[in-house]
Amino acid sequence: MNVPHRQAWLRLLTAAVALCLLSACTSAVGEQARRRSSGEPVDGGTLRVAALTDLIPASVFGQSSNGGNAVIGLVYDSLVEYPHDSLEARPALATSWKVAKDGRSIHLELRDDVRFHDGKPFTSEDVKFSIRTIADPKWAVQLQRTAAAVTGFDTSDPHAITLTFDRPLSNILDLLDIVPIVDKDTFSQVKAGTGYNGTGAFRFDEWKPNSEISFSRNDDYWGGKPHLDGVDVKIVPDPQAQAAGIRSGQYDLLLGATARDAETFSKDPKYEVLDFEGATQQTYVGFNLKNPDLKDVRLRQAVAFAVDRERILDEVYRGEGIAQNLSWSPGSPAYDEKAAHHYDRDVDKARELVDGLGSVASLPLQYIAGDPTAEAVAQIVQANLDDVGITVDLEPVEYAQMYQRLVGADYDGLWIFGHTYAQYTPATLPVSAYPFNAEHNASNFLSPGYAAHADQAWAAAAPDGPKAKRAYAGLNADMVDNVWLTDLVTFWPRLVTTSAIHDIDYTKRTELIARDAWKDQ
Amino acid sequence: MLSYLVRRIPSAVGVLFAASFLIFLMLRLIPGDPVDALAGQDATQESRDAIRADLGLDKPFWSQYVSWLGGLFRLDLGQSYRIGGDVGDLLRNGALNTVVLTVAALLIALVLALVTSLVAVIRDSRWLNAALNAVNTIGLALPTFASGLLLVLVFAVVFPLLPSGGTPPEGYLARPDISVQYLLLPAFCLALPVWAGLSRFLTEALRSQLRQPYITTARAAGVSRTRLVVRHALPNALPSAVTVLGIQVGTLLGGAVLVEQIFTWPGLGSLIELAISGRDYPVVQVLLLLSVAVFVVTQLLTDVLQAWLDPRIRIGGAR
Amino acid sequence: MTTSRQLTRPKALAGLGLVGFVLLLGLVGPLLAPYGPLEQIEGANLVGPSPSHWLGTDEVNRDVLSRTLSGIRLDLLVVFVAVPVGAAIGVLTGLLTAWWNVADVLTQRIFDVVLAFPTLIFAIALSAFIGPGVWTIAIVIVALEIPVFGRLVRTSVRTVREMPYVEAAQVAGAGPLWVLRRHVLPNSLEPLTVQLAVSMSVAVFIEAAMSFLGIGVQAPNPSLGSLIKDGTTLMYDAPFLALGPLALVLVLVLGLLLISQSLSEAHRD
Repeated sequence: MNVPHRQAWLRLLTAAVALCLLSACTSAVGEQARRRSSGEPVDGGTLRVAALTDLIPASVFGQSSNGGNAVIGLVYDSLVEYPHDSLEARPALATSWKVAKDGRSIHLELRDDVRFHDGKPFTSEDVKFSIRTIADPKWAVQLQRTAAAVTGFDTSDPHAITLTFDRPLSNILDLLDIVPIVDKDTFSQVKAGTGYNGTGAFRFDEWKPNSEISFSRNDDYWGGKPHLDGVDVKIVPDPQAQAAGIRSGQYDLLLGATARDAETFSKDPKYEVLDFEGATQQTYVGFNLKNPDLKDVRLRQAVAFAVDRERILDEVYRGEGIAQNLSWSPGSPAYDEKAAHHYDRDVDKARELVDGLGSVASLPLQYIAGDPTAEAVAQIVQANLDDVGITVDLEPVEYAQMYQRLVGADYDGLWIFGHTYAQYTPATLPVSAYPFNAEHNASNFLSPGYAAHADQAWAAAAPDGPKAKRAYAGLNADMVDNVWLTDLVTFWPRLVTTSAIHDIDYTKRTELIARDAWKDQ
Repeated sequence: MLSYLVRRIPSAVGVLFAASFLIFLMLRLIPGDPVDALAGQDATQESRDAIRADLGLDKPFWSQYVSWLGGLFRLDLGQSYRIGGDVGDLLRNGALNTVVLTVAALLIALVLALVTSLVAVIRDSRWLNAALNAVNTIGLALPTFASGLLLVLVFAVVFPLLPSGGTPPEGYLARPDISVQYLLLPAFCLALPVWAGLSRFLTEALRSQLRQPYITTARAAGVSRTRLVVRHALPNALPSAVTVLGIQVGTLLGGAVLVEQIFTWPGLGSLIELAISGRDYPVVQVLLLLSVAVFVVTQLLTDVLQAWLDPRIRIGGAR
Repeated sequence: MTTSRQLTRPKALAGLGLVGFVLLLGLVGPLLAPYGPLEQIEGANLVGPSPSHWLGTDEVNRDVLSRTLSGIRLDLLVVFVAVPVGAAIGVLTGLLTAWWNVADVLTQRIFDVVLAFPTLIFAIALSAFIGPGVWTIAIVIVALEIPVFGRLVRTSVRTVREMPYVEAAQVAGAGPLWVLRRHVLPNSLEPLTVQLAVSMSVAVFIEAAMSFLGIGVQAPNPSLGSLIKDGTTLMYDAPFLALGPLALVLVLVLGLLLISQSLSEAHRD
C-alpha cells in the first residue's frame, strides 16, 4: 500500500517541476532591453516608470510627489513653457504674449485647435479657472501669492486672455509655466483622484492608490501624436527596490534613484542617467528663530561656517551638484559667487563665534525619518557642529509632520529639509518658497529690509534689468547677514533609464514629460 | 458543533467592540492633526474650519464614534482623508493583494511542512534529520527582511529569473503563469518562518504519536512504517498542528508588513504604514480593526476546526 | 532542580555558548573597539573590509566593527531587561488576577485585545504616538510579553487550584498567597523558562524589524537592527555592511532557540 502513496508524492513533485518549467517559458522579467536602437523614433510601447511617492489628490498641486508630478507633466499643458535649462519662455497653449509696459497686465493669444481629453474645446475661461484654482489657499500651492495677485481676467475672446494684476509681477511667466490648465467642468474629479481631464499628450486612465497610475496616448494631441502607447507609473516607495526592478527589467525609468545608484548606473552602458541641471533643488539647514538660542545670529553664523558642504556634496550627493550657501545657480541673474561662498567651511571662525556666546545649550535637529539621504546629511552636520562645540540631538520626524511643521513654522530648533524655486525668476523664491517667503516663512524670520528687497525684486519690470539686480544684491546681503537658513548643496534630479528609452524630458518643477519619448522595439 | 461555535461567539464580539473603541480613542490621541496636513500655510481659520467640518471632526467624540460604527454596519467605510478615494476601495485592493500573498505563503508553508516532516519521520535517518533540523532552525532564526533581501539579491538581481517585487501588471487571473512568478519570492519569504515552526511541531507530534501503544500494536501486526505514519500518526497529530498554524496566521499579517515593504507589494501592510504616517483616521481605524478581526476569527476557526478534528473537545467542551 | 540538568545537554550547551559569546562581545567589545561608535573617520567613505576596518566603514565614514560591538548592547538591553520586565509584570498579573473570577475574566479579555494586534502593526501605531526610539521598542516588547506570560501563569493557577491537596490546604486555612508561592510558581517554572527563552529570541527579531522599518533605534546610535538596515539600503554598493550585525543576530537568536528547544525537550521527556 505504500507504493501508491509515494507515487502520489512523486506526481505532485513532477507537477510542481513542470509548472516551474512551463512558467519559465514566459518569464515575467523577459521583457528586457536587449534590442538595438536604429536612432530613428519608433511608435509603440509602454513606458514603465517607478515612482517613490504616490499622488495625493487632496494636494496634487501643492505638495510635490512623484505620482502627482507625473500626472501634471503627462496630462496637463501650461500656457508657456520654460526649457529646463533657461528662463526663455516658449509658446505652449499660448502662442504669443505681451506684458504691459507698467508690468501690471499681460495679454496672451491662445491656441484655437486644442481640445481637452473629453472633447471639450479649450478656451480662455479654462485659463481663468486654472489660475483661480491655484490662488485658492485650500490647495496650499507655493506660488499662491503670485496667483492671488492676478485679479482681472478678460475672457471676452475665447482664444485670447488679458490678465491684470494688483501689483507688478516680474515672475508672471513663472506662474504661467507652472499652472496646469485644468478643465472647469470635471474639476471635482481631481480631488477624488478619479479623473484628470487635461489637454496634454497622455490621457489619465486610472489611479490605484498606493499601487499605480496609468496613462494612454492622446491621439489628438495638438503637438502631434506621441510615440509611446502609454505610461505606467508604479509606486515603488523604496529606492533599492527601484534599482532592483530596473535591473530585473520591470521598469524603464526610475524617478527615485539615490545619488549612489545613479552613479553606479551611469557607469553601466545598459543604462542612461539624465541630469536635469535646470531643475535644481537645495538641501538646507533651517533655524527656527522662535528658539531662544537661535535668536542670536552669531550661533546661526557659527553653524553656517561649521558645516562641511564639500564633504556632503562628495560623499552623499556623489559630487553631482554645487556646494554653496545660497541657492542660485551660476546661470541665474541673482547669482553672486562671493555671497554664495561666504560661509565656506571655516572651523576656527565658527569656534570663535561659539566662544563668544558663552554656553550653548544642546539643540534639536529635525529631519525626515526613513530618508537615507537626509539621515546621512544630518549625521554629518551633527559631527561638524560637534567639532565647534555645538551639540545637537537628531530627531527624525515623519514626512507628514515634517511638512506640517514647515508650513506651520513650528520646528523645535534646527532642521534639514529640501527646497526649490531658485531655478525660476529670482523673485519667485522670496515671495513663494516656504523657507524664504518674506511675509511668513518657516524660520519665523521677519525683517522689513528683506520684505522690501523681495518686493522690489517682485515689482521689477525686467527680471534681469539693473533695478532687479539691485534688489537681488539686497536679497543676497539679507540672506548672508541674517542666515535664517543656510543652504548645504544645490543639486538636480538624476533620472535613470534603460538605454532603450529616448527623449525623456522634465520641467523645471520636476514634472515628467514624455510627449517626444520613444522606446526601442 | 454549532452550539460550540455559538458558545464562543459572544466573547469574540466583545473583543471586537473593545478593540474598536480603543482604536478610535487612541488614534485621536496621536499628535498631528489631519486638518493641518490638508490645510495650507496661508489657510484662513474659516477654511480650516470648513475642512474640519468636511471631515466631520468638529462633532463631539461620542457622536463621531457612533457614526463610524454605524457606517461600519452599513458597510460604508467613508472617504480617505489623505491617500484619497473610498476607504472600501482602498481596502479591497490592498486586501486582495495581501490575501493572495498570505494564502500563497500558507500553502507553501503547509505543503513544505507536510513533505519535510513526513519524509523526516518516515526515513528517520540521522543525517537527514540533522540537515532538516539545521535548515529548520535557520529558518526560524533568519529575520524575514534578511531572507527577503537575500532572495531578491539572488533571484532577481544576480540571476534575473524572477521579478524583484510588485504585483502582476495585468492582474492575477489574466496570466496565471506570470502571476506565479511574481508571487514566488514574497510568498516563499513569508512562508519560511511558518514552515520552520510548523514542520518542527509536526515532526515532534508525529514522533510522539509513533511512541503510542496503538502504534506499537500496529507495528507488531506488520503494518509498514509509511502507512503507520500517514494513516495513523498523521490524523492524530493534525489537530494540534492546526492550532499552531492558526496562531501563525495571525502573525502572518504582521510579517506581511515587512515582506510587502521589501517586495513593494501594495497590500494592507504598506497601506497601514502610509495611512498612519498621513494621519488618515478613516483608513487606519478600519485597518486596525480588521487586523483584530482577522486574529479573532482565525482563533475562532482554529478552535472550531480543532473541535471538528478532535471529538473530545466537541463533546466535552472542556475549554 | 531539573533546569540545571537540562542546561548541561549538548544542545543547551551550544545555545548557552552562542548567547554567552554575544553577551561577552557586547560587554567587553566596545572597550576593545578600534574607534568610537559615532566617530567619523576622514576620507573613509564606504570602504570595504580591510585590516584597519574589519567590517568596512559606512556611508558617514564610521567603523562598522566598532558600531556593531556597541550596537550589541542595545539588543542585550532589550533581551535581558525588557523581556524579563514584561515577563515579571505578566507573571504577577496572571498570578494575582487568576484567583478572582471577575479580575480574571477582565484581564483575559484585555490580553485578548492586546494579542489581537499583530506586533509590528502595534509597533507602527505606537511609534506614531510617542515617536520612534529605544523606548518605543522597549514598550512594544513589554506590552507584548505581559499577556504572553500572564496567560501562561493563569493556566497553571487554574490547574493547580483544582488539585485535591490544594483544596485541602485551603480548607485548612491556607491563603491564596501561600498556595501561589508553594504550588503554582514551582509548577509553572519550566514552561516559564521555555517561554522566556522564546520571548528573548522574538525580542531580537522585534528590535531588528522595528529598526528596519525605521521606527526603532534612531541615528546616530547603532543597534544590530539599525546596522542591518543601514547595510540593506546600500546592499548593491556595499554588501559587506550588513554581514557582521546579521551574523550576530543569527547567533543570538539561534542560541536562544537552542536553549528553549532543549528546555522544552527535557520537559517533554
